[in-house]
Amino acid sequence: MGKTITLDGITKEFGSIVAVNDVSLTIPKNEFVTLVGPSGSGKTTLLRVISGLETPTSGRITIGDKDVTDETPQDRPLSMVFQNIALYPHMSCRENINYGLKIHGVPTDERNERAEEAARSLQIADQLDKNPSELSGGQQQRVALGRAFVEDPEILLLDEPMSDLDAKLKEELRVEFQRLHRELDATFVYVTHDQNEAMTMSDKIAVMRSGSVEQFDTPETIFHDPVSEHVATFIGTPSTNVLDCEVDGDVARTESAAIQLPETASNEDRVRVGIRPQYLSVGGGEIAFDVAIDVIEPLGIDYVVHTTTVEGDKEVNVVTEEVSDLEPGDTITVGVSLENIYLFTADGQRIRAPTARQTEV
Amino acid sequence: MFERVLGGPGGLIPNAVQKRVWNVALYVIALLVVIFVLTPLYLMIVVAVQSPETLFSGGQLTLIPPKLSLDNFRTLIEQTPTVSYFVNSVIITGSSVFLSTALAVISGYSLTRFDLTGKSIIARIVLFSYMISPIVLAIPLYVIFFRLGLLNQYISAILAVTAISAPFSIWLMWQYFQNIPIAYEESAWTRGASRWRAARDIVLPLARPGYISVAIFAFAVAWNDYTMVRIVLNDQALYPLTVGSELIFQEVFVGWGEQMSMMLIMSFPPFLVAAFLQNYLLQGFNLGHG
Repeated sequence: MGKTITLDGITKEFGSIVAVNDVSLTIPKNEFVTLVGPSGSGKTTLLRVISGLETPTSGRITIGDKDVTDETPQDRPLSMVFQNIALYPHMSCRENINYGLKIHGVPTDERNERAEEAARSLQIADQLDKNPSELSGGQQQRVALGRAFVEDPEILLLDEPMSDLDAKLKEELRVEFQRLHRELDATFVYVTHDQNEAMTMSDKIAVMRSGSVEQFDTPETIFHDPVSEHVATFIGTPSTNVLDCEVDGDVARTESAAIQLPETASNEDRVRVGIRPQYLSVGGGEIAFDVAIDVIEPLGIDYVVHTTTVEGDKEVNVVTEEVSDLEPGDTITVGVSLENIYLFTADGQRIRAPTARQTEV
Repeated sequence: MFERVLGGPGGLIPNAVQKRVWNVALYVIALLVVIFVLTPLYLMIVVAVQSPETLFSGGQLTLIPPKLSLDNFRTLIEQTPTVSYFVNSVIITGSSVFLSTALAVISGYSLTRFDLTGKSIIARIVLFSYMISPIVLAIPLYVIFFRLGLLNQYISAILAVTAISAPFSIWLMWQYFQNIPIAYEESAWTRGASRWRAARDIVLPLARPGYISVAIFAFAVAWNDYTMVRIVLNDQALYPLTVGSELIFQEVFVGWGEQMSMMLIMSFPPFLVAAFLQNYLLQGFNLGHG
């Protein structure tokens, strides 16, 4: 049975470096929650604080309704999968999977049974008696997963478990993680720097930046309604285009376009306009400007057109399905409708229109 | 500086030739080293296994013995305290190896796994103390043991010899533990293993090449030590082979044959250690690069 994890004002300092800065977060039970952010954003440190491998400088951690802040990792009801896999090289895969059960005094027969069951569900049953070094990277990670869930943990922590694997394996394991999550009835906390993994697997995503959680929401909300420029550009591929605009009365001017600003933005000097490449269309829209095409990348059905704005030399990506009449070097007009742009202040905070129009998508 | 011109891919000399020259050079050098090392060993053995009658027959040293004899060993064992010296050597060396290795494993683990203040200073002092010649330490150690009333016992010899090997042992083990990722233990902790349990089940088995190297090193130091033992012991009954053999060599009935037999006895244990444990030694000194 999964447990709720409540973080209350968690701060972790290493000397003068603040790795995690006053994070309060409630991770609901049985959900798949991903901590995502660029390297150095404190996501791994936060995970290690949850696991008990790091002690927070201040703040409390509650698992279920028990305060575990002062408990050691041994006493917390959780398992952890590590980035470097960390299978014990001197033990067979079976012993690796069994080790936790052995510590808890489970008899050998039952141990073997449970290890075999775990191995079957991860499709590594025939690898059980091999040494970890004889397995491929993907199989090793499966063994690591197996030894984490064989104990039926209430919470499973995963620290960038796929960062060393190739793309194909990542796809396979992504499905595996979600299947496990459905079967296990445990709370999953998953750390990654790959927004794609975060978007595809999570019930909820916490986007982190320099030690703080910027936004904690469902993948859909994070994608369509980011609270800041950082969230908007970090989540989604290709990355959100951001244009710098000067404010002239109640109008923001960029390049050849002028954007009518909501009242809430009228006292800013400059604003930044975020436009997802998927919402830009060739030919124009309510807001239109000219760009020069640099490169066209086929993605299968879609194409990503990499362009630079004619006047400001800013990079703009456009996702479109039709490129037959586009050539690198051409200048084209692209446009977006007003409701599909985000406005940010100069330091990246979202400016919302007074009318609540942005939540429904 | 010649790399671009003569050697390397694209040099003036074709790769196949380079490779052959390199192989030939390697074997020639290896052969020279082997001859250089084996000649004295051969002489030692040849002299040790001949009876005095055949050794200088014809006025020349006999290099190919016509007949093997163990007379020299018999003389040593029957007429001198060689056996008791050997036992002393084993006691002192064995205890020192155990002590030095245990010290190295405990210190190495602590230095890599705990946040100790002044950790790097400790490590530097440890390594620096290894630079000091044993004879410099010998006199202060003598004074210390004298004050403690420990002189002239096995324990003083064991401690003194361990003091020589411990600094390097600790440094080696410290380096070795740094190569064992902490994630192994962390993964054991999150699965419920106590620190002690994780160290026993995970760290110690992985550190085996490291502590076997340390043990071999401590063995070499202790078995061959002369200075420390000579200073802290003055009871002949406690002497190990190194110091004891000096006394034996002064006996009138001891000639070349007996001396070389003694040398052979002394070299035998190190030879066994090297023969059986050299793989571990190489792994240990490789520090995870292999």
